Amino acid sequence: MTATLLAQADWFGGHALAVLPVLLGFLAVWWLLPRAKVWPRPVGVLLGLAALAGGGVTLFQPGAAVTQDLLFGFFALVAIGSAVLMITNRNPLYSALWFVVVTLCVCGLFLLRSAPFLAAASAIVYAGAIIVTFLFLIMLAQQAVGVAAYDQRASQPLAATLLGFLVLGGLLCALRPERTAVFAAGPALAQASADADTGGQGRTLLSYPPALGPSPLSQRGNQPLGTVRGLGRSLFGDYLYAVELAGTLLLVASIGAIAIALRTPRRKS
Amino acid sequence: MSELHNYLLVGAVLFALGAIGFVTRRNLIMMTLSAELMLQGVSLNLVAFSYLHGNHQGQAFAVFIVAVAACEAGVALALFVALYQRRKTLDIRAWRELGEEGLVSGTGGEEPPIAPVLPAALESPRLTPAGRVPDISKRRADNRV
Amino acid sequence: MSEAARQIALWLIPGAPAAACVLIALTGVRWLRERSHYPCILALCVSLGSSLGVLLLGIPDIAGLGPDGSHPQVSAAGYEWIRVGGLDVSIRLTADAMGAIMVTMVTLVSLLVAIYSVGYMRGDPGYARFFAEFSLFVFSMSMLVLASNFLVLFVFWEGVGLCSYLLIGFWYRRPSAAAAARKAFLVNRIGDFGFLLGVFLIWGTFGTLDYQGVLGREGVLQQIAQQHPGRLEWICGLLFLGAVGKSAQFPLHVWLPDAMEGPSPVSALIHAATMVTAGVYMVARCTPLFVQAPFVQLIVAGIGGFTALLAALIALTQYDLKRVLAYSTVSQLGYMFLALGCAAGGKEVVTLAVTAAIFHLFTHAFFKALLFLSAGSVMHSMGDVIDMRRFSGLRGVLPVTHLTFLCGALALAGFPLTSGFWSKDEILAAVAAASHGTSLYAKSFLVLQFTAVVTALLTAFYTFRAYFVTFWGEARFPAEAGQHPHESPPVMSVPLVILALFALAVGAAIGPSGLFGPYLAQTRGLTGGEEHVVAWMPMLLGTAAAVIGIAAAWLAYVGSPGLSGRLARVSTTAYNWSLNKFYWDEIFAALVVRPLQGVAWLCRVLDDYLVDFLVNAAGRIPWMVGSLLRPVQNGQVQTYALVMMIGLAALLLAVLNAWAGG
Repeated sequence: MTATLLAQADWFGGHALAVLPVLLGFLAVWWLLPRAKVWPRPVGVLLGLAALAGGGVTLFQPGAAVTQDLLFGFFALVAIGSAVLMITNRNPLYSALWFVVVTLCVCGLFLLRSAPFLAAASAIVYAGAIIVTFLFLIMLAQQAVGVAAYDQRASQPLAATLLGFLVLGGLLCALRPERTAVFAAGPALAQASADADTGGQGRTLLSYPPALGPSPLSQRGNQPLGTVRGLGRSLFGDYLYAVELAGTLLLVASIGAIAIALRTPRRKS
Repeated sequence: MSELHNYLLVGAVLFALGAIGFVTRRNLIMMTLSAELMLQGVSLNLVAFSYLHGNHQGQAFAVFIVAVAACEAGVALALFVALYQRRKTLDIRAWRELGEEGLVSGTGGEEPPIAPVLPAALESPRLTPAGRVPDISKRRADNRV
Repeated sequence: MSEAARQIALWLIPGAPAAACVLIALTGVRWLRERSHYPCILALCVSLGSSLGVLLLGIPDIAGLGPDGSHPQVSAAGYEWIRVGGLDVSIRLTADAMGAIMVTMVTLVSLLVAIYSVGYMRGDPGYARFFAEFSLFVFSMSMLVLASNFLVLFVFWEGVGLCSYLLIGFWYRRPSAAAAARKAFLVNRIGDFGFLLGVFLIWGTFGTLDYQGVLGREGVLQQIAQQHPGRLEWICGLLFLGAVGKSAQFPLHVWLPDAMEGPSPVSALIHAATMVTAGVYMVARCTPLFVQAPFVQLIVAGIGGFTALLAALIALTQYDLKRVLAYSTVSQLGYMFLALGCAAGGKEVVTLAVTAAIFHLFTHAFFKALLFLSAGSVMHSMGDVIDMRRFSGLRGVLPVTHLTFLCGALALAGFPLTSGFWSKDEILAAVAAASHGTSLYAKSFLVLQFTAVVTALLTAFYTFRAYFVTFWGEARFPAEAGQHPHESPPVMSVPLVILALFALAVGAAIGPSGLFGPYLAQTRGLTGGEEHVVAWMPMLLGTAAAVIGIAAAWLAYVGSPGLSGRLARVSTTAYNWSLNKFYWDEIFAALVVRPLQGVAWLCRVLDDYLVDFLVNAAGRIPWMVGSLLRPVQNGQVQTYALVMMIGLAALLLAVLNAWAGG
């Protein structure tokens, strides 16, 4: 049955070569994951680099501007490499720092996609607040001098890596350019499909569907993408309720965090 | 369109790596960081689509993701503090009360942590106490006495 | 007596003991306690009064009246029990002549035994239970006698068996008593199985279970005898099997001696006077059927005679006084069946045979009950010791008991002019008539006549052996008797005296005076032929046997005391055979009990290892399926996350497959 599926199905759509970088990536991550008997790291690093190179060659689709492509390539490669280093590091402290690198690269990618506010916000929140809190926790919860046993062993590395790269492979198949082309047909097609969904009726603020298409409010004045003003109008105009709820959620979470953290374990008398 | 494809690719890779990290690492902090990594991938995905459509919907969604991630991280870390106070460890395997009886026998039977191999340069040199003449004859090349 | 009065009287006979039973059962333990005997005795008085009313007034009033005047019977309608298809069974009480005699005897003896029990069972913790079971027994027995169809007869046949079980095992905490009760019930069950098969055959042959329909129509019986040859033989044989079980004939006699574990009143009532006579009653009731099957009657006589001889031989060496009496009961019942079977000697012998049997049943009830109650009195004073080897010379200490026992012994031995003499004489006359009769089996009856005379001799011998060993010789008491053995209280002595009077007089009163015979002859099946002959030869033989037996016993146990020991040593084998009941219990154990235990063991092994195994295996299957899935639920968050990833991957692959395929 598997043979016929592979024969009939056109999963990769001509991109059969993409299997190779996925395979190399799987090997790299699996090699690098911590285990009791330490394996030489350079092998894993080499495998990872080969995977990235292969991925770049087979999967990367060059765009219009070279500068953009270069910047994108830089940020993407550093992000992915830092992510791998983050998840395979024995020391949680170093992992947190690698996570900062990933966050900053992702912020760079945000900037490339005209989302400056989001870049700044995520840098501040993630790299600033969250990571600092993590570092405090690592400091408070330091038990053994050096690295604890549970940090040096990964649980079910093979199964996890295999499944993870299976999921990745599936996502890659789903994200083939032919598939994503339907999304790139533009707002007109999106609007048409949205109209078809709602029957062409007028939309109210509350009933704004998650379908694609510009919103009435942000259309007013037609703020260009990438401005804070536009984002602000969208947030506080279209998604006001969600914003208020998010605020309430933040309040509740902070109260809850304080309540949980201050609870001392009851002594058993 | 091709750019969209690239960004989606990176988002997918970050998501998959986050998933692997979550399932693999036993440290509570590592698991949370991997979850945040997954969220980063998703945010990238949203922003790419937002750019494609030319509106701010994706970015607004990503802002909410940031907000929720912050809440989640806060509550999670408070939980970790409380859990640490009970078991004195950040190992996720310490908490298995909801499992079936007699399946895996605790975290015991593990080997002790491997001593970290620091590069030689980082090892602190042993210095002779003040007031004593150092014994040069026994000094070794790596400054270890 | 008016019709209504007759019916009320008839219903009172079983009804009063039933009410007493319920009353004592409900209130005896808590409230009545040591007064529990009052309802029972009161009920028995009522029953006795009603029985006498029916006997003396009811039956004679309707005799000669109506189309069925030669067979008068009082009927009282009861309850329409089963009416399904062709089966029509109703609970109706019917008392004809034989039934009236039987029920009078039952209630009279029961009343006297009940009065005796007040003294005997005093202080027993189960006092209320005793009288409740006693009343229940009298109810069952009277219903058995008064039943008007075979099914109701069978129900109360089992009922008396149940009461026998309850009363033999009265002291149920004693293992031997519990075992004896079980044995009695199970051995009876074997007989009851045959009885039930007989009832089925009756239903299949006649289409009805009513006495009227089965026994009442002479023409139908002839017709069936011609159309289905052998059918009636089978029916009679199976019914007789039931009688063999109930009346403790060979080979199902083994339960009666063990039944002496029960209290002495129980032995007197159930195993001397009433329950064991149910078999004789049933065979006598079915005389119209049995006369169509003379071969079966011969078997009846043969088994009866053989049992009589066998039991007499065993009783020669027993040292437990009650066991001696038990074996003598078996022997006398054998006599009764011998008499019943003599009807095979020809049409003209039928009435004589049945009359002899019922007459002996009647007198036997009195003197045997008397003997058992006297033995109970001896036990009572000797501190529950009944082993004759441990006491002797009691006539000085227990004067009343001594004299009453002597009366009973004389009656049992057939000493001239006691009631036992008259009834035994009737039986010997019947056997003699049968051996001179016109049927094919005359020669067999000669052998049986000889057997009967020998048995009479042995009966006299062992009875008076027991008498002399117990009451004569030097005064010797067992340790349990205490300081000063004393006579029983009046509540026990007075019934003994009354029974002694009956034992001596009733035979003479109603036998040769021609009261009993003609009255009984009003029963269906008995008309024709003489009821009573005065046959001199059998009478002389019987007298001689009795006197010789008594004299031999006196000689062996009083005259020259060493004689009995020397006789025993003459043949130790014969002595041991007799002492050990001819090893019949052991034979049963080897032939029947062991194989059945083997079958039971096999069934148990099958149940444990096959059925249970299959059921448990079926129960293990969900467990095994579960154990495949259980490792997923190990409480680890990462395992759960991994399973989620598996699901995600599977979902993705499925979607991709759908996209690619379509």
